[in-house]
Amino acid sequence: QETITGIVTDTDGNTIPYVNILLSGTVTGSTTNENGFYTINVPNLSGEIEFSVLGFENQVVSINNRRTINITLNDSSEVLDEVVLTALGLKRETKELGYVVQSLDAKGVTEVKSVNFLDNLSGKLAGVTINQGATGVGSSSKITIRGEASFSNNNPLFIVDGVPINNNSVFNFTNEAAAGFQAIDFGNGAMDVNPDDIAEVSVLKGPSAAALYGTRASNGVIIIETKSGKNTKGLGVSYNTSFFVDSAFQLPDFQNEYGQGNAGEFAFVDGLGGGTNDLITYSWGPRLDVGNLIPQYDSPVTLADGTIVRGGDTALYNGNAITPTEFKSNPDNLKNFYETGTTLINNIAISNGFEKGNYRLSFTDLRSESIIPGVNLDRQTVSARLNFQPIDKLRINSSISYINSNSDNRPSNGYGSENANYSLVAWGPRSLNIENLKNYWQPDLEGIQQYSYNYTFFDNPYFILNENTNSFNRDRVFGNISASYDITAHITASIRTGMDYSSELRQLKRANSSNRFSNGAYAEHDVFYREVNTDFLLNYSNQFNDFKVDISLGGNRLDQKAFTSQAQTTSLAQPGIFRLSNAASPIEVFEFESNKRINSFYGLAKFGYKDYLFLDVTGRNDWSSALATPFSVDNTSFFYPSVSSSFILSEVVDLPKAISFAKLRASWAQVGNDTNPYQTTGAFVAQTPFNGQPTFSNSNTIANANLQPELTSSFEVGADVRLFGDQVRFDVSYYNALTKDQIISLPIGISSGYTQQVVNGGEVRSKGVEIILGISPVISQNLKWNSTLNFSTNKSTVESLPQDEGRLTLAYSRIYDSQNQTVFLQAEEGGRVGDLYGTGYLKNENGDFILTDEGRYIPDNELQKLGNYNPDFMLGFNNQFNYKNWNMGFLFDWRQGGIIVSRTRALGNVGGQLAETAFRPEGGIVPEGVVNTGTTDNPVYAQNTVAVSAESYYRQFYDRNHEENNTYDASFLKLRQLSVGYTFDNLSLFNQDATLSLSLIGKNLFAITENPHFDPEQLAVQGQGFISGVEDMSYATTRSIGFKAGFNF
Amino acid sequence: CTKDFEEINTNTNDPVAVQPSLLLRQVIYDFGEQMSYEGFTAGNLLGQYSTALDFNLFDRHDLKSPQLGGNPWPIFYQNLRDNEIILNLSQENTAYTVYEGPARIMKAYMAAGLTDLFGDVPYSEAFKGDTETVTPVYDSQESIYMDEGGIFDNLDKGIAALESYTGTIALEGDILFNGDLDGWIRFANSLKIKYLMRVSNKIDIASQLQAIATDGNFIDENSENAIFNFTDGEPNSFRLAQLRVGDFNNYVLSETMDEILTSLNDPRISRMYKPFANSTDDGYNGLLNGIDASAGVSLADYSLLGTIFRENTGLLDANFMTSMETNFLLAEAAQKGLITADTEMLYNTGVTQAFDYWQVDLPADYLTVDAALDDGNPLENIITQKWIANSINGYEGWVEYRRTGFPQLKTISASLNNNLIPIRMPYPSEEEALNSVNYTNASNNTEGNSINVPVWWDE
Repeated sequence: QETITGIVTDTDGNTIPYVNILLSGTVTGSTTNENGFYTINVPNLSGEIEFSVLGFENQVVSINNRRTINITLNDSSEVLDEVVLTALGLKRETKELGYVVQSLDAKGVTEVKSVNFLDNLSGKLAGVTINQGATGVGSSSKITIRGEASFSNNNPLFIVDGVPINNNSVFNFTNEAAAGFQAIDFGNGAMDVNPDDIAEVSVLKGPSAAALYGTRASNGVIIIETKSGKNTKGLGVSYNTSFFVDSAFQLPDFQNEYGQGNAGEFAFVDGLGGGTNDLITYSWGPRLDVGNLIPQYDSPVTLADGTIVRGGDTALYNGNAITPTEFKSNPDNLKNFYETGTTLINNIAISNGFEKGNYRLSFTDLRSESIIPGVNLDRQTVSARLNFQPIDKLRINSSISYINSNSDNRPSNGYGSENANYSLVAWGPRSLNIENLKNYWQPDLEGIQQYSYNYTFFDNPYFILNENTNSFNRDRVFGNISASYDITAHITASIRTGMDYSSELRQLKRANSSNRFSNGAYAEHDVFYREVNTDFLLNYSNQFNDFKVDISLGGNRLDQKAFTSQAQTTSLAQPGIFRLSNAASPIEVFEFESNKRINSFYGLAKFGYKDYLFLDVTGRNDWSSALATPFSVDNTSFFYPSVSSSFILSEVVDLPKAISFAKLRASWAQVGNDTNPYQTTGAFVAQTPFNGQPTFSNSNTIANANLQPELTSSFEVGADVRLFGDQVRFDVSYYNALTKDQIISLPIGISSGYTQQVVNGGEVRSKGVEIILGISPVISQNLKWNSTLNFSTNKSTVESLPQDEGRLTLAYSRIYDSQNQTVFLQAEEGGRVGDLYGTGYLKNENGDFILTDEGRYIPDNELQKLGNYNPDFMLGFNNQFNYKNWNMGFLFDWRQGGIIVSRTRALGNVGGQLAETAFRPEGGIVPEGVVNTGTTDNPVYAQNTVAVSAESYYRQFYDRNHEENNTYDASFLKLRQLSVGYTFDNLSLFNQDATLSLSLIGKNLFAITENPHFDPEQLAVQGQGFISGVEDMSYATTRSIGFKAGFNF
Repeated sequence: CTKDFEEINTNTNDPVAVQPSLLLRQVIYDFGEQMSYEGFTAGNLLGQYSTALDFNLFDRHDLKSPQLGGNPWPIFYQNLRDNEIILNLSQENTAYTVYEGPARIMKAYMAAGLTDLFGDVPYSEAFKGDTETVTPVYDSQESIYMDEGGIFDNLDKGIAALESYTGTIALEGDILFNGDLDGWIRFANSLKIKYLMRVSNKIDIASQLQAIATDGNFIDENSENAIFNFTDGEPNSFRLAQLRVGDFNNYVLSETMDEILTSLNDPRISRMYKPFANSTDDGYNGLLNGIDASAGVSLADYSLLGTIFRENTGLLDANFMTSMETNFLLAEAAQKGLITADTEMLYNTGVTQAFDYWQVDLPADYLTVDAALDDGNPLENIITQKWIANSINGYEGWVEYRRTGFPQLKTISASLNNNLIPIRMPYPSEEEALNSVNYTNASNNTEGNSINVPVWWDE
């Protein structure tokens, strides 16, 4: 008895797992493990061994007295038998598909892990846009595939192991006025997906691929397949750990010449207007660093008994003389405010395969401390994947994940005093030494009165982040169990049921002396969600000579229930006790429950001819309860078909030798789309009670009992061409989709008594091109370089609106409830989805500002198009180098075009905080523009020569009522990921082969962008949704550097 | 496949129908609460009771750029809509007949407030978007006042409905009169007095006014006022008690109000305002309206608004109609010879009630020395006293200034309206966007939505 060992690699030097190894002429066999190692016992060192595995040419090797046989397998001519996941969890060879599916393997997803699963996809998939939220770790990320074609809903569907999971972001109930709780982003549903459990992610980009998932697939589908224990022989254990250190990525560029005050003067007395310009915290005050001595909030006050307190300790010592201290700059105050964030992710998994099945169990622990003080996210995930085949014809599969995620604090979003950036950036005077705010209670008034640099509008940022916390604790389970049975050799029946369940408790605490809640406040927000999907599927497949036929018929029932309830008191009896039983004002309750059911039948027929011509036909009929009224089920049924075809040109025509493969594909599909529940009937809504007595007001929305489903029709063509033995892989797609009969809440004038009307209408045409270019410039035994370029461009044009004229407001981002301080997302016939509107100042035909005789800009309150937030194109450039056991990877992410409206720019400049306002000449500034020296009807324009004070100039130029001067080009080029690693193989543990891989990893290492103040990847929050293209007092994003270690045996 | 769909898509969160009492309480409370807030943050700026230190484009008469308050248009239409539902219910269901009178009176009251600010507005086709048009036509102010279905018609029909009501089902949700139908009749008659005076430059109203005055069934005592009380604690406190202190501290006494109250030695200044912080003798100081905020002024040099508007809002009322206002209107009518009555008695009663309303003791010699009717122009004195008394009563002080020219308001310091005092509110931009055909006509009739064009009764 002899033992032969070895490694099987491909021509690129990659090890090949699961290669079948057979001693010729016998049944003695083995397989390579995940790392390409094999061991085989043979009677003696003669004879031949056969190596075979899908995708490679078989090879037979003579043993020839060797105990170690390392071999290299050549790629087979059937290189394109790549397998991807498509609808209904069917694995299909890509060559058969009439539409594009792009996939990422586990390494592609998890090499450089992000806390939010979606961020792992950024830049790696053509046509997929990811934007991160503004409030640090735990924020939502927004994903769109192929741009935005719907006026109301552009969210793709997420599927885990064949069953939908929700990707909702549920916000707390808020008040638009400058009072009450601000919006808080508690994250998006799909962020709970654990990257360590992912085997593969596939993206179905168009409706052609997605028709079989039903209405929610109209915006594309992200299909996630979790790791399973299959193909393992014996117990496999893997452990990996990632540790990141985070720092603030891009901080605002401040001026450091002038400190707090107005018109050059400042003295602190009470931070309420009692001193000189200490009412509001502009930095239009005296010069810094020139030896000025000025009473400040942190200047000492010596009391009669000799005790020294601080100027801002006004509650007890107001009126005492404050000893002036030096008026100094604090250039690094924000930098010092941010902390070093850390993220530690540990994952351990065991898997095993045995005769009748396999399993994988995994536990992941994620602990992330944000760079924002006190902000964190913890997440534990337990997942199990089980596959059993108790008898030959029956397969039972199950996949279950339990996730607990929680945070001590999720910071508030948007403009207002609950967001620490409001007091740190927009209204943090440049003379402010933030360090001195850390002790944020006034003496003897802990829990009762905060200590701050101002008491009119602002809260101490440390007080906000430490005392006014928004915590959550979310339990979530998703998973499914399925069984399939081979009735005959050609007919298989399957059933499956899956659930996504989550239950979350949020607690919003506000301490006494908060600006918005002088007596404190407390809110409990419960969020509950449950979705159950039950499917059956009958499949028939057979082959008749050159024809392959595969027909499936199925049905699905979707039951969805969402419930949210926020109970709050805006005044506490005993300070510091955060319980509803401690309420000193009537408890207000906001509740909303929604229920929905969709029943579906669908069919899929696949035909193949001679392995080079493929045709798919699908059809689905949905019945949605959301289209019913309490009295009728008319209009609830809708049908949508698709057809797609693939033609392997290279199998039929003799192509130049350089072309190793060529495929053409085309598809056409429709998808219907329903709406949210309760759009078909009106209702009365409870309002603020008077003296405890109830009040009701009619809903401001006019319901529509005759809603029709939306319909998207899409056409896609593409080609997949591979050159030079697959060294160059070129895939191009062009699509053209029309979404019509959109269900929208059309804004109407309140003079009608209502503000919105639910209607069907409007058409949006989306066109775009996606190119995936894979190149392997260097392939040698030792060195390998693989490079992928993902290019995409999309344009969604509004072809018609539901109304006769004017523009349709789709969304807006607003400061407080001010109509004037609003960026509108509006659609106009001929315009593009993503067009932002705002106001500016009056200009003449030449585009010069027209000024008054006093050198002032003249407000032009007519809305004008500011630009579009969508990029003109996106390019991801992903590279992998392997040299022996070394590997290196980097990812560049380039988005070109699009605008972003910045609240930081508007407010920070009005406040005199940002670098733009550092230039303050004594004689004032002569605003660029012209004055009309003629008449209104016959204007004669002359260059303005009148100067205004610098303060007056900047405050007007950047005024928040007019967005035009507060926009930036949102283009950026980022080094999104970088990793360098080394793998130790040939290790042994418990007599088993083991590997250890170590890497250094970095994220968001560097960026080129126009604006000096913030990361241009931004999302704003308004109402219950996200607004792209607006930066609304966001926190700094992070640059991460860390290491990763993985151990397998 | 559609089993249970009706039930699943039945909204379990909110009712599809409600009793009129729930709507009536809502209309009165919401309108009163919102218009009191508007009164403090915007009406008092236009009427020059107070001024804003910063974020003050509205105070500088860029009326299209309000910061807090200053956008009353939706308040009227939303409440006119809910009120119309009450009116419809009262006519469809005999159990709700008692609501007809109050609904008609509230409709007249809110319609008048609306047209007095904007002039021609959507009315006859308005606030019925669910059953009729969502792009209502603009009606002339004259027709809104005078035509069938208009203000006077609704007041008359409202009174008639109340007088003829014989049912036993009580009026509920009435937070003005607690279900006392006579209170509503007095309220309606006081409103008739007010609106007859409003249109008196256009229409000969003398005989109608005399008839009401003679009949005497109007609000004549503070106890009969159409008001409700704010509370000290949330949620029914005055809104300025709920906002951040910076929002409150942004408003100070205006120079106009300061001069008037000081010249009258009027102790109400201590109720409505606070001594300024830098004062050594508890003095009051007002600031001329409409400053350029970048010039930098020191809050410590000016008087903040009084504790009744923030710390003690339990003392404050939402004011729909009062005896003091009624008496001042009758005094004006008598002074102008429109009715036969004792002007001085009416004036003195009005002033006395106004001090009582603001919970300030009337100084013994106030009516004989400081504010005697005949000291100067009696008409100016009557209107000025009414103006003082109407602080935070919506935009009332400014509306009556436009009609009477009293009190004489000041040219503001950094006007964005060519140093003109606006004489109407501009239509909001949403009308331009969402009701554009009708808006264009209305805009053409107001020189392009100008704030310097008079409304019909002011022509």
